[in-house]
Amino acid sequence: MKKKLFACVVLACSLLIAELPALAHHSFSAVFDDKKPIKLTGTVTKLEWQNPHTWFYMDVRDDSGKATNWGMEMGSPNLLIRSGWSRNSMKMGDLVTIEGFRARDGSNNGNAQIVILTNTGQRLFAASSLPQPAESPKR
Amino acid sequence: MNSIAATVAALLLFASTASAQWAKNPAGSIPRTGEGKPNLSARAPKTQDGKIDLSGVWLPDMDAKGIPQGVENQVFSQYFVNITADLKQDAVPFQPSAQALFMQRLQNNGKDAPTAHCKPSGVPMLNSVPLPYKIIQTPRLIAILYEENTVFRQIFLDGRQPVKDPEPRWMGYSTGKWEGDTLVVDTVGFNDQSWLDAMGHPHSENMHLVERFRRRDAGHLEVEVTIDDPKAYTKPITYTQKATTLPDEDLLEYFCTENEKDVPLYK
Repeated sequence: MKKKLFACVVLACSLLIAELPALAHHSFSAVFDDKKPIKLTGTVTKLEWQNPHTWFYMDVRDDSGKATNWGMEMGSPNLLIRSGWSRNSMKMGDLVTIEGFRARDGSNNGNAQIVILTNTGQRLFAASSLPQPAESPKR
Repeated sequence: MNSIAATVAALLLFASTASAQWAKNPAGSIPRTGEGKPNLSARAPKTQDGKIDLSGVWLPDMDAKGIPQGVENQVFSQYFVNITADLKQDAVPFQPSAQALFMQRLQNNGKDAPTAHCKPSGVPMLNSVPLPYKIIQTPRLIAILYEENTVFRQIFLDGRQPVKDPEPRWMGYSTGKWEGDTLVVDTVGFNDQSWLDAMGHPHSENMHLVERFRRRDAGHLEVEVTIDDPKAYTKPITYTQKATTLPDEDLLEYFCTENEKDVPLYK
């Protein structure tokens, strides 16, 4: 890795920026592992609409019905507010499907990049810089 | 009694509406089109003393060619990510010690970044952070309020000289002067803890920063940043961060320590 990074700095390396995603609080790779994609469906149990990151928690049930609580980190509420979302956009008890990446430490924490309301297919918390489905009014 | 209840209910309703629209009051300083929309390409406003008025809420422009990335899955300014975005990688004028520190920060996945521990981004990175800032201009003092971490910066235009042997600061000590319609801000007295960008380009306490603020028109601001720090770079680095006004918005609160949960997860 060290050698690779050194080569990147000494020689031209356009991939380096893609390897180190930007941060508003911390870098993606300080906490999450892009080699550990996750896709989970569960019921929202808690929403923390606070800086520096919005967190929500969801109970994910296995085949036996046993629930495991996962923490999902997203962007700052300030970024989400300016994209038109609010603390009321997600309700306790909402069934959601998330796609994202698991924490590097193997804990039940992840970065939710996509959040979909399972029952309606509506996408929640998409950034204004991302394409958004026109038929999905914001909650 | 009923009328009192109705009045209270009406007041509460009004209070609720006012609260929801707190950050949505139209800015009086932005010219409007016939339909009442902000005219961002109108001539830049001027103050009573004839200077270009930089006042307003500004959001750094994102990279027009950027892709969504990071925890936020957002497009950011290229200079927020990398102040040397305009240079080829082999053209970055590193001093060896600065290059070694930069490499170490990359290898640590950025977990030692000041912001990752709720410390300020500092100047000049705050010009490119993807959160707005508000400029308040008076003839002898310009204050910039930054939404990130709710920090501020003062730029003195009262003729004072740069401080000698300053206590190192995240924001440094800024003095400004007008060159025509451009505000030229000179800043020294930095600490060496702030990062210049998200990748971790370092600087020393000897950094001398010059920022040239130019409000091109009512809606657009350009900040040309020149970093002169011979201890870290063999020649100055210059880039221009553009920003666009948010005409009908105000700053929100941002306290990083409010719900910081990532530090135990850093690896």
